[in-house]
Amino acid sequence: MATAKLKEAVKQPWQGRLIRFTPYIAGGVILVILPAVMPSYLQGIWTKFVIFAIFATSYDLAYGHTGLISLGHAAYFGAGGYAVALLMLHYGIDSLWIGLPVGILIGAAVAAAFGFIALRVSGMYFLLVTFALAQLLFSITWNVRWFNSPGMMGIAGLPLPDLGIPWFSWSPISLYYFVLVMFLISFFLIHRITNSPFGYALRGIREGEPRMRSVGYNTWLYKYIIFIITGAFAGLAGVLFVYYNRFISPTHIGITFSFLPMCMVIIGGSGTLLGPIIGAMIIIFVEYFASLFTPERWPLILGTIFVVSIMYARGGIAIHLSRLWERMSYRYGSTKS
Amino acid sequence: MLLFLIASGMSIVMGLMGIINLAHGALYMVGGYVGWTIAVQYDLNFGLAVFLGGCAGGLTGLILERGFLRRLYKQPNEQVLLTFGCIYILSNLCMWIWGPRRRLQFTGEFLSGLIHIGGIPFPMTRVFIIIIGILVAIGLWWMQSKTRLGAMVRGGMDDKEMTMGLGINLERVSMLVFFLAAFIAGIGGVVGAQLLGVYSWLSTDILLLALVVVIVGGMGSVQGALLGAIVIGLIDTVFKTLLPQFSMFTIYIAMIIILMIRPSGLLGRRI
Amino acid sequence: MEALRVEGLSKDFGGVHALSNVSFSVEVGEHLAIIGPNGAGKTTLFNLLNGQLPPTAGRIYFFGQDITTMPTHRRAHLGQGRSFQIISLFLNLTVLDNTLITLHGTKRSRFQILRPTKRYEHLLTRAQEMLTSVALWERKDELVKNISYGEQRRLEIALTVASEPKLLLLDEPSSGLTAAEGADIATMIRNLGTDITVVVVAHDMDLVFGVADRIMVLHYGQLIADGTPEQIQADSRVKEIYMGIEEGTGNARAS
Repeated sequence: MATAKLKEAVKQPWQGRLIRFTPYIAGGVILVILPAVMPSYLQGIWTKFVIFAIFATSYDLAYGHTGLISLGHAAYFGAGGYAVALLMLHYGIDSLWIGLPVGILIGAAVAAAFGFIALRVSGMYFLLVTFALAQLLFSITWNVRWFNSPGMMGIAGLPLPDLGIPWFSWSPISLYYFVLVMFLISFFLIHRITNSPFGYALRGIREGEPRMRSVGYNTWLYKYIIFIITGAFAGLAGVLFVYYNRFISPTHIGITFSFLPMCMVIIGGSGTLLGPIIGAMIIIFVEYFASLFTPERWPLILGTIFVVSIMYARGGIAIHLSRLWERMSYRYGSTKS
Repeated sequence: MLLFLIASGMSIVMGLMGIINLAHGALYMVGGYVGWTIAVQYDLNFGLAVFLGGCAGGLTGLILERGFLRRLYKQPNEQVLLTFGCIYILSNLCMWIWGPRRRLQFTGEFLSGLIHIGGIPFPMTRVFIIIIGILVAIGLWWMQSKTRLGAMVRGGMDDKEMTMGLGINLERVSMLVFFLAAFIAGIGGVVGAQLLGVYSWLSTDILLLALVVVIVGGMGSVQGALLGAIVIGLIDTVFKTLLPQFSMFTIYIAMIIILMIRPSGLLGRRI
Repeated sequence: MEALRVEGLSKDFGGVHALSNVSFSVEVGEHLAIIGPNGAGKTTLFNLLNGQLPPTAGRIYFFGQDITTMPTHRRAHLGQGRSFQIISLFLNLTVLDNTLITLHGTKRSRFQILRPTKRYEHLLTRAQEMLTSVALWERKDELVKNISYGEQRRLEIALTVASEPKLLLLDEPSSGLTAAEGADIATMIRNLGTDITVVVVAHDMDLVFGVADRIMVLHYGQLIADGTPEQIQADSRVKEIYMGIEEGTGNARAS
């Protein structure tokens, strides 16, 4: 009775909710139906986009949601990827059921180690330390023989994962749907996390850490845990990337690579769930077009887009879109009081 | 010593303006490229190359500050990210203008050869770098402690609002400091080119080294930058001779140790 | 039973003695007001009590337990609640979100990662009760930065009380409010009765005399007077301090 009315009060009438769901429906069409009818080289790009959508969303969990600005996210991405690649290179293990969990765990483990060191400081320093630590990993993979295929830099010739199903063999479209499933699972989990009490607490930490402590939250622990979680998701993206790219090298751990999710988040909109995805779509496609016409100028283009977004499009594209949806759903049905 | 040149500029800018100019390494690189142009392409006096390299660095830094950083007044996080984006832009521009090949070490005519100090031969280039470094250090120290500008900078670092309240135009001081730091970085670029050469991804390599120095030595103080540079330089050379395979990592390990024990650096201001 | 006992508490900031050798105790259910000119060390004292700063010397006991080095969040779990001189609410979050985050602070559920926050019905009910009592339930979806300053203050204090703390530390709860709003705050505090121990730092003398069983006076980091409101009003040293200010600025409300 009382609680039922209360739940009514915080829910929206169905028109409002329908409008709010429209972007998800549109996304569903784009993600699920379109790729089936595309030429295969475009499917590859789509796959790359979805992988980076996972990568960027994982970054935003720390950046936009909690306010932890880090500059070495590729370290956990690369760690996951290298874990899978090394398993194949040195131990001949190419089973998906082993590679995937190991990659995720390694990504989380590296984040746990780096986070422990980096969280000793905050703000600007935190940024620097995460950067330096990622570079440490970079130089290890660059210099230590064990991390590379014989006679070259990086690890090449990686096969697609073995599902243990005898009649099955991969094709670009099946790889895409596999990646998509992983993405949907991740998206669902991250959605749950941001709406949970834990996720709310992270927002509080972003907005005012001292108050959070006064109210009873062990803020260091929260930051540490979410950092590890983002490492796990980044590791997942890394594993999927290795399956897609068949090649991994130290560049995928380096600073240039860490820049990409940050760029995507800022362009697409931080602190939202759809923002990083939109950002990933934009960046991956601009990169594709750049590679067709002016491959050498790509860093310049990327840098310029980034600088312009930071200066003028505060909040990213997703914020503007979501404000539009908010206004429309507000008009068609607001919360009763 | 080279490390000091870069780190000191970054440190001061951080202390005064509260932001970290990640593009500082890129300013170093610009200076190096311009210096190369002067010294090698036009075959002019090396000293002139050093000076013009510094100017180029300073000018680029000025454009960066006035054109871009100003727009994001009072948003320090965004400013830092902005400088990061600028690294890409500057690196790629340099690659466009000067071509992707690595430019080799170059130096002035009078600086090649050895000099004997106490019976031990030193390459002139290294001695030159050390001398420049010491000159800059003395210059900065003198400026910081003895001049009015230095006092304004120190006041700005301790308490921005108070300093502004005293009628000091902190914006112009900041701009000047930024230019100075960029100028020093540019000089560093030319001088350092004798050892390292110039290439388009130099920005991040140098940035990384400078960061480690600043983290170890402490942010916001010239003395910190100096101490950090010396410590890191020593660690690096010692371990290079003892355990060559690990030379890459020793500086990072030093950084990690400092972070775990004393996060604000050896001589840094409290975070 | 002592809710709070402080022994020999000192805090130095590189040469500045913000607090020097302060000792006092507060009984359960007492309402204590701490007054003193600006810079006397009142907020520093709160920061030490609540754990934002470590003391240079001295000890703090909370219901008999030594909490001198305990981190802030654990003090909250022991039963401390604090409001800040400058409003510390999350301005970019909604009223409801602020409330839910605060209410979860001392509950086990704050570590829950997978269940949506809005499904915790008993907390939603509590939030509704609380927000209705300060007339903010209708505004629950508005961003805190968009409600008036007076409403923000009311919300902050109500939130601090909502977690049912044993000791309430209120730092300048009526600063920036009109006389009427200040009187409301005073009533709110009085209505807390003797279940909660309250320590208030204030400049607003109407609030102080309307709320306090006992008053302490700090001056340059030292405790110079401690007694009932009548005793303090009659104390010559206190008069000297406040008279001095009055003569200097012609204004009895130092602020």
